[in-house]
Amino acid sequence: MPGFRDRLPDEAEVLREAQESVLAEMRRWGYRHVITPMVEGTDVLELGIGAEQRRRLFKFADARGEVIALVGERTVPVARLVAGKLRSAPLPMRLCYAGPVLSTDDGRLHQRRETYQAGAELVGAPGTAADAEVIALAARCLEASGVKRYQVDVGHAEFFHGIMDAVKLPDEVKDAVRGALAARDFVALESLLEGTPLRSAEHELLLRFPALRGGVEILQAAGGLVRNRRSERALAELAEVQELLVAHGLGEVVSLDLGAIRDFDYYTGITFEAYGPELGRPVAQGGRYDGLLERFGRPSPATGFVVQLDLVYEMLSGAARPPALPRIDAAVAWSGSGLRPALRLGSTLRLFGMRAVVDTQARNEAEAKSWWRSVGAVNLIHCSSESTVSWTARGQRTRRLPPEQVAGRLAGGVA
Amino acid sequence: MNAGRAQGARKSTKVSIALPTGALMPGALRLLAKSGLARLSADELGRQLLVDRSSVRVILVRPADVPAYVDHGAADLGIVGKDILWETPGAHYELVDLKFGGCKLVLAVPVASRLNGPETWPPQLRVATKYPRTAEAWFEARGQAVEVVQLRGSVELAPQVGLVDAIVDLTATGRTLKENRLRIVATLGASTARLIANQASLKTRTDAVQAAVGRLRKAVTG
Repeated sequence: MPGFRDRLPDEAEVLREAQESVLAEMRRWGYRHVITPMVEGTDVLELGIGAEQRRRLFKFADARGEVIALVGERTVPVARLVAGKLRSAPLPMRLCYAGPVLSTDDGRLHQRRETYQAGAELVGAPGTAADAEVIALAARCLEASGVKRYQVDVGHAEFFHGIMDAVKLPDEVKDAVRGALAARDFVALESLLEGTPLRSAEHELLLRFPALRGGVEILQAAGGLVRNRRSERALAELAEVQELLVAHGLGEVVSLDLGAIRDFDYYTGITFEAYGPELGRPVAQGGRYDGLLERFGRPSPATGFVVQLDLVYEMLSGAARPPALPRIDAAVAWSGSGLRPALRLGSTLRLFGMRAVVDTQARNEAEAKSWWRSVGAVNLIHCSSESTVSWTARGQRTRRLPPEQVAGRLAGGVA
Repeated sequence: MNAGRAQGARKSTKVSIALPTGALMPGALRLLAKSGLARLSADELGRQLLVDRSSVRVILVRPADVPAYVDHGAADLGIVGKDILWETPGAHYELVDLKFGGCKLVLAVPVASRLNGPETWPPQLRVATKYPRTAEAWFEARGQAVEVVQLRGSVELAPQVGLVDAIVDLTATGRTLKENRLRIVATLGASTARLIANQASLKTRTDAVQAAVGRLRKAVTG
């Protein structure tokens, strides 16, 4: 089926490793792990996601005729959890999660219908310290997964809302302007704005949206142009967040993007996206969504993000130095009465943290060598009796040694 | 470390542009030359499909494939007809109307047909087109039930042999329609060539990409 595929060991192990390192980083920041189901009632999901995302859900009916869907993201299920089973837990609350999500996209080219995400949500904390925390956490998660080169663009939904309040346009034109921006169609935007007689600074800002990106200097430049309180407050918050991110040690990777086009109906404050150098899409994204929890009956501010683990994998495998694939350290073969010492040796090697495969059938030393090659291990150990063990490291000659010395020699990196 | 600035020299300064084969290719090549980005002959590009110049890499692909190259970041920029974008919306930025390759997407019926304005349409209209998504959306917005037959080519043949009542097709001069004894009863939209950009390219390699966009924009208006 297009858009779905098996992950073979080389990919699966790197992907899983990335997921584990991201979750471990989240836990280091005090985020508790939750697991929500693969399916949700559409009534729950519809409280949180827009029409376009709803259209892309895999939906089906269960035995009682209720319409349920495979989750396409997990922020909404987590919001349900915080307002439901965790209703009496004190705020702020820090939660994280990971797993596959599904969408009904075509599955053309690189498009995937099943992707892996890990995410974190900080619920109940307003303010720029919380905004900066999740951005810093997202950046550190990318680093923990092995991504070395990335940048984070920080924007603010209220900057856009303020402009739309202030721009002098009839309501129906404003709707069309919103639509054109959501579709990233600047040709349509230009013709909409050219057709109106009134010109304002906001007008110019809208036209220059994709270019409103840079360092702190962009805040001053924009501050000289906007004359509405919503946008001004957004600029002030961006300045604070930028400063806090410097304190987090991330000043170098952060840019400010006033023209970030995100889901403006969903996000209510600071938003951000992380990009890798060779990737056409953001590898992590998130922001503040203070309106969502209210819809589940527990009004509270919230901010969070997801990391796209498939894209992390693409970045890692495409990097100049791809991650070292986990290798098998030892193939343990045996003949005669060597099975018992072979099993003991396997246990010892694993105790040292090595990967060891013990053969399931007897082979003499020559046969063992071809089995060793098919296993692809670094070392071959052959046990032919309780006391006779031979060791061959890749590219070296075979040596005999007492069994109790094998683990130490291998662990010592002598191979 | 800033990923955008820390990259290798080739990627950070060179901008890749996907160009469409077919009707828009000559206009696209003229625009590239006028902007000073690259002077290429159709022959050279047609032979190689991929040409590297000091500041740009030009990739020649089928028109319908341009959005895919741009959306997935294989090209930073793309030149493509608006008609293609109607059918394949994506995450790219549509930045500039390049003002060439003008044509209209029209609803046409056989000259002898009694179909005309919406009041004459049957409860379920049968329409052949290469633009099923655009056609369906247009009829839906007008509350007209429609059965869309997707064809790959020679759409103008379909009503003559009784496959459908009408066609939705692109026309520049109206000559093909006339030759096939079809007349236009409605216009769904007007198309010209557009400049599109990959969303990440605008962010990770802002300077180089914006500079190329600026030169192309200037070549259109200047």
